[in-house]
Amino acid sequence: MARQTLQHFELHVLLAMLREGGETYSVPLVVALETRMGRPVAQAAVFIALSRLEKKGLVTSRLDERGGGRARRYFKLTRHGLAAVKEVRLEHARLWRGLGRLLSTHRI
Amino acid sequence: MRWLLRLLLSDADRRAIENDLAELFELRRQRLGERAALRWLRRQRLLYPIHLLMERARAAFGSILAGVPHLWRDALHGVRSLARTPALTVTILLTVGVGLGATTGMIGIVRAVLVSPLPYAAPDELFWIYTDNPPYRFRFSVVDYRALEADHPAFSAVAAYQTTSVTVTDGGTAERVTAKAVSGSYFPLLGQTALAGRLFDPADDTRGDRVAVLTAAYWARRFASNPAVLGRTLTIDGASHTIVGVLQKAVGPLERDVALFTAARWAPPKRKGPFFTMVLGRLRPGVSQAAAIDALRATNARLFPIWKSSYQDEKATWGMQDLKSSVVGDTGSTLVVVLAAVACVLLIACANAINLIIARALTRSRELAIRSALGASRGRLLQFLTVESGLLTAGAAGVGAAVAAGAIQVVTVYGAGYIPRVDEVRLSAPLVGWLALLALGSGVLILVGGLLPAIHVPSRMDHSLGSGGRSATDGPAARRLRRALVAAQFALATPLIVAAVLVLASLDRLSRVSVGIESGRVLTAAVSLSGAGYARDTDRESFWTRALERVAALPGVEAVALADSRPPNQAGQSNNFDLEDHPTPAGQNQPISTWVGASPGFFSTVGLRLERGRLFDERSLQDDVVVVDGAWADRFFPGQEVLGRRLKGGGCSSCPWTTVVGVVGTVKWTGLEASDRGTVYFPFVDLPNAFVLLRTTADPASLTAALRQAVHELDPGLALSNIATGDDLVSASLAAPRYLTVLVGMFAAAALVLSVVGVYGVMAHFVQQHTRDIGIRLALGGEPSDVRRMVVLQGLRLVVFGVAVGVGAALLTGRFLTTVLFGVSPTDLRMIAGVPVVLVALAALACLVPGRRAARLDPAAILRES
Repeated sequence: MARQTLQHFELHVLLAMLREGGETYSVPLVVALETRMGRPVAQAAVFIALSRLEKKGLVTSRLDERGGGRARRYFKLTRHGLAAVKEVRLEHARLWRGLGRLLSTHRI
Repeated sequence: MRWLLRLLLSDADRRAIENDLAELFELRRQRLGERAALRWLRRQRLLYPIHLLMERARAAFGSILAGVPHLWRDALHGVRSLARTPALTVTILLTVGVGLGATTGMIGIVRAVLVSPLPYAAPDELFWIYTDNPPYRFRFSVVDYRALEADHPAFSAVAAYQTTSVTVTDGGTAERVTAKAVSGSYFPLLGQTALAGRLFDPADDTRGDRVAVLTAAYWARRFASNPAVLGRTLTIDGASHTIVGVLQKAVGPLERDVALFTAARWAPPKRKGPFFTMVLGRLRPGVSQAAAIDALRATNARLFPIWKSSYQDEKATWGMQDLKSSVVGDTGSTLVVVLAAVACVLLIACANAINLIIARALTRSRELAIRSALGASRGRLLQFLTVESGLLTAGAAGVGAAVAAGAIQVVTVYGAGYIPRVDEVRLSAPLVGWLALLALGSGVLILVGGLLPAIHVPSRMDHSLGSGGRSATDGPAARRLRRALVAAQFALATPLIVAAVLVLASLDRLSRVSVGIESGRVLTAAVSLSGAGYARDTDRESFWTRALERVAALPGVEAVALADSRPPNQAGQSNNFDLEDHPTPAGQNQPISTWVGASPGFFSTVGLRLERGRLFDERSLQDDVVVVDGAWADRFFPGQEVLGRRLKGGGCSSCPWTTVVGVVGTVKWTGLEASDRGTVYFPFVDLPNAFVLLRTTADPASLTAALRQAVHELDPGLALSNIATGDDLVSASLAAPRYLTVLVGMFAAAALVLSVVGVYGVMAHFVQQHTRDIGIRLALGGEPSDVRRMVVLQGLRLVVFGVAVGVGAALLTGRFLTTVLFGVSPTDLRMIAGVPVVLVALAALACLVPGRRAARLDPAAILRES
């Protein structure tokens, strides 16, 4: 599969999914993102990011319809999704290498 | 916003999102409290569709837009630039937005009323079958229906119904509601299903049980949608009916305002009439309409001799009309007139927007020139102006969506009485598509108009930068365009204003039509006697006698009477008859006129003057006498004595002759606009349904409660309905033309304002551009009055041309107004002549403002600046 570009927020959602592990839905992801990022996160943004990730083949989803009009869409990280997260991590590690010291002494 | 979510998401995803939001709401409620959580939830619901729309747009256009450089920057710059001229931006957004919204709303109404199929199964196969007696079309009798039911080769099914007002009694309360007595084939024919229980089927015709089906709306209103009412009995017109089912929620125009259906129990008729039964038929596949009409006529021809003793009109036959046309009636022409009016306003608004944009470009010519000098290509400038026009159009479309939603809401609430199917109008996905299409069209117009200056920028750049003199927008093409736009605005506004003047004059004529009665101090209300207590004629006669005595004793009541009709447009019945002195020749139609049942006190109660002869007394029914009005006398016995003439009503050859004993003034019974075809008054004695009419000494509306109380005291099981004063009735009959006048007048006023503002803008621009020339002219001894005249005449040249074209267009398109006008000809030059005069005068005033400004210019100061 060709390498997929990840937007900033998509990466955040993938990381939250990784943290949740297994199948999850939008509510735990919104809570996790808000806790980690310290700011409110729109459920719509998470749902749209998940839909986009699904189109890219990085997550899969299934609809769980229970009685009484209850429905929930569950999402799961795919192998490609996991590979994409690892790749971004490596890329970031390469970019950050040696910058920590410079950052601490840099003055504007 | 829910409808938008429905468009953007599947049902399952919408439910999943709702559930997730509910869970997050609960978490927030526990952490932050109820109010904060509710605020959060409202924001989420509001923003959700916006997020989704942006995502869709990104997915659809992202790749295209990514290829166009600087687009985002242009968009931001465009927003900032538009925000710098807020008055102009808001004007364009509002004028174009209102035009877009009103046009979209009208398209929605036209689609729902004229284009959308009726909400029944295979609606194109449905027809109304009627008695055809040109120029009249009237319903079937039960005899006709039974004959058609037994022999309908061209139709796969036929059904019949009678719409009536019934009294529903439940416990101590009585309520008047609209009901339909339907044949068992009615629901299967229309393809309707039950929401609960069952509907009627053809077996109900033979079972003959008293059963009822409720509409979902009545079930909800009266029984709070309680399923336990199925199987319960309901007293309808005094008889117990078992509720067997509830009709599906989505109903069509035939079920509008209906509360319940009863299984028809039409007794075997003794004579051909009366003609109160609506008959519907479903045409067999493959059978042409012509063949079906032939088959109907053949059935009628076989039936005619059997019932000839009670119906001799040999010329009357059967005909059919598609159900949609019969439901919509002649509303179509009114709607098309209003749609044309709003479309004109939209075009004028677009022309105005282009003019404003060009005028604005004048002030930005230096900015564009600097951009060009800094290396921006003509393409880049075009892209920037395109984005700017796109932003304006998108904003206007947003305003348009809100206006359309509001307009539909207003029309569905206020137009329900006189626009059929208006309750089916929704801001649906196709309508949003229409809005987008109109916005796109307007956007292209505005863009092309607004782009013109940019096309000239590079060639005039040096000039603009160098001297601050005439700008790119002052090029000959831009000037010509602006002038052409002003002329076009007036050309569009003129027919609209002519139409407004005509409908206003028509309304004025209509409101001056004399109803024929003194309506000012009259109160009317309907009472219907139903149930076992009123089965015999004597029971009803006795009740009406007591009712007249009781109501006459009420304080404030001067006179009281009963009638089966109410002026000006609620005639009880139309009857055919044969005159002794003018027998109907074989093969000819019998004459038809309005028949009104009236008690002896009726004429004095409504202030109707006796012209000749005498009025009714207590013995009139036994004596077989009638009173006619002046129009009837003039129609059948012009210049001759009408008293003593004899007729046989209803085409009954075995009935005794009825004698005319009096002539009274003419009253409007079939609408203010209807021509006077004559009325026959017969004595009201024991009819089951009546209007009680009171002549009061004070404000008639103040007696409503007392009248209600009096009827309740006479019989608590009876309900008073349709209470209205005489003036209310006259006013209600004018509601439809008034509605049209207000709509067209509103649009005409908008067109007038926009056009006058347009010519003002162009002439103000003209003066600004020619300041130096005017200064030189004044410096060389030119008279200020000459300058003023020059400016005004320059403006008027455009206006006169536009108005002349507009008057021509008004005369050409006037015939479309014929059906909505009363007593006014659409080509009446006396009526139209004032419009161009007023338009030119207003335009002259608008041009005078910049003209005066030009005349007051100080030549010395101008020449110094130059």
